[in-house]
Amino acid sequence: MTAKTQYINPGKLGARRQSRLTKWLMFALFVCLAIVFIFPLYWMVISSLRPEGRIFVDAMEIIPSALSFDTYRRLFEEEPYGIWFVNSITQTGGYALMGVFLCTTGGYALAKFRFRYRNLLFVLILVSQMIPFHLLIVSLFLMIIQMGMAETYQGAIIPLAASPIGIFFMRQYMLAIDDELLNAARVDGASEYQIFWHIVLPNARPAIATLLILFCIDYWNNLLWPLIVFRKPENFPLAVGIKRLIDQYRQQYDLTMAGSTLATIPVIILFFFLRRQIMEGLATTGTGIK
Amino acid sequence: MLNLLKLPYRYFSWFIHHKKVTPLVFLAPFLIVFLVFKVYPVILAIIMSFQNFQGIKSQDWVGFTNYENVFELVRFSQALTNTTVYTIGTLLVLIPLPLILAVLLDSGRVIASTVFRVLIFLPALTSLVVAGTVFRLILAKDGFLNLFLEGVLGMERLRWLEVSELALPSLILIATWRWTGMNILYFNSGLVNIPGELYESAAIDGANPWQMFLRITLPMLRPTTFFVVVLSIIGGYQVFVEPFILYAGGAGPGDGGLTLALLIYRTAFTSFNFGTAAAMGVILALIIFVFSLIQFRFFGVFGGKE
Repeated sequence: MTAKTQYINPGKLGARRQSRLTKWLMFALFVCLAIVFIFPLYWMVISSLRPEGRIFVDAMEIIPSALSFDTYRRLFEEEPYGIWFVNSITQTGGYALMGVFLCTTGGYALAKFRFRYRNLLFVLILVSQMIPFHLLIVSLFLMIIQMGMAETYQGAIIPLAASPIGIFFMRQYMLAIDDELLNAARVDGASEYQIFWHIVLPNARPAIATLLILFCIDYWNNLLWPLIVFRKPENFPLAVGIKRLIDQYRQQYDLTMAGSTLATIPVIILFFFLRRQIMEGLATTGTGIK
Repeated sequence: MLNLLKLPYRYFSWFIHHKKVTPLVFLAPFLIVFLVFKVYPVILAIIMSFQNFQGIKSQDWVGFTNYENVFELVRFSQALTNTTVYTIGTLLVLIPLPLILAVLLDSGRVIASTVFRVLIFLPALTSLVVAGTVFRLILAKDGFLNLFLEGVLGMERLRWLEVSELALPSLILIATWRWTGMNILYFNSGLVNIPGELYESAAIDGANPWQMFLRITLPMLRPTTFFVVVLSIIGGYQVFVEPFILYAGGAGPGDGGLTLALLIYRTAFTSFNFGTAAAMGVILALIIFVFSLIQFRFFGVFGGKE
């Protein structure tokens, strides 16, 4: 990201004069920092690979002498981890697709049409962003029960799908689409839906991709709402399942570490393929991942 | 049959292509979900905060009783204090540390700065659940941190998860690990927008890098810093998953790790006291609303992109 900066940054001035020593000291400092930040992830992986019952006994071995994949076998055989994984994929997919659909169509309407109460609605959406989800857990829970949506994917997905940040992000992007382009198509007799499908969507592809990725990571990592919607273990997504592995009465650290490792790997892989999009998307939406 | 449908279809088609209707067709999906699952639950929650619940079905109006109960609750003031201390603690770490790291990474003096940026950012990708479980392992009595303190630094073991006073430091430690990379990202976007000419002319005037940092970088970063501060406050007051996982759904030793959000969850789904939970939710929302308004007032929406 800094590579694109054409400006001269504070330190770049006089960088040549700077001694080799400072350069190496700085490098050493960041190597140490990186080790500290990566260590918990490394520890998670290593702990998941220790033989059964050795997780605390061998804790002094930073590089383990014995590795075993047995925990992973137990994770799938003794716990419904495979089911949780599949649930996570379907629920995440459903949430991301629905969220992107709502935000793309809604963002387009907010950006390119004038209608009554548009500004009022826009302000309402922005204000709703300030509402902590914990205000809604009781009322949404009652609603879900009364609507018969407890224990269902719809119940887990739909209440989260109308994302204020998402629609704001799409609207900002849509604003930049040239009106001339749309008007030219209108003159040619294209209907509004044809315009949306053939002109707006292709033009908004980068924004749609970014939002899709962010929504995926968001749901994949989410605990609170699925925790409330699902009581039956066979419906859990990963986050709720992992929480169950480390419950008060059965603290299965080995299984938990294996489960956490497998739940983290897809996100990391996604990140290494789409690093720029994820980092820039997060920086512009200003949310971080919960 | 098909012929029979032709006329209604024609009307339908005319209707959805009408100039006044098209925007609504695009808006409707979002709007319906938004009104039903965002706006209505807020209203319902406020109504619920004035009701007493016996089970899910029956409820009666109790006026401000729930709010009175909340403020008399010792656990509530404990949770409010904990959450506030936690938020201040995260600010004290998560503003200066990422700011300095971002400036160093941007200075061109660090070899392979992108690699470090990515490595420090990686924790931000993990689920908070994973962050909680990993740190529960590391902070355990025989966990790595204690072995490190004992074996390498020659200190005594600390009972991170069992002593009330260590609950908030543990949570702040997790926050530092999880959010430093994210905040570096924010500060970086602020740094990129500082015009290079400022540094050029300062260099001509003979300023050293330290002076440039104090006189140019810091003042120019003030909007970004303020934005990150407000964002951290809003996030800090909503902290839930980390203590929830760290203390297995409990509140930690002596309620030391009890946060507002955790208390709301437990009041709702452990004690099934919906009215009180809703009242606490309203109070939490008001706290966050105040800080959000400050952000709104100074930056516009989501960090002044508007």
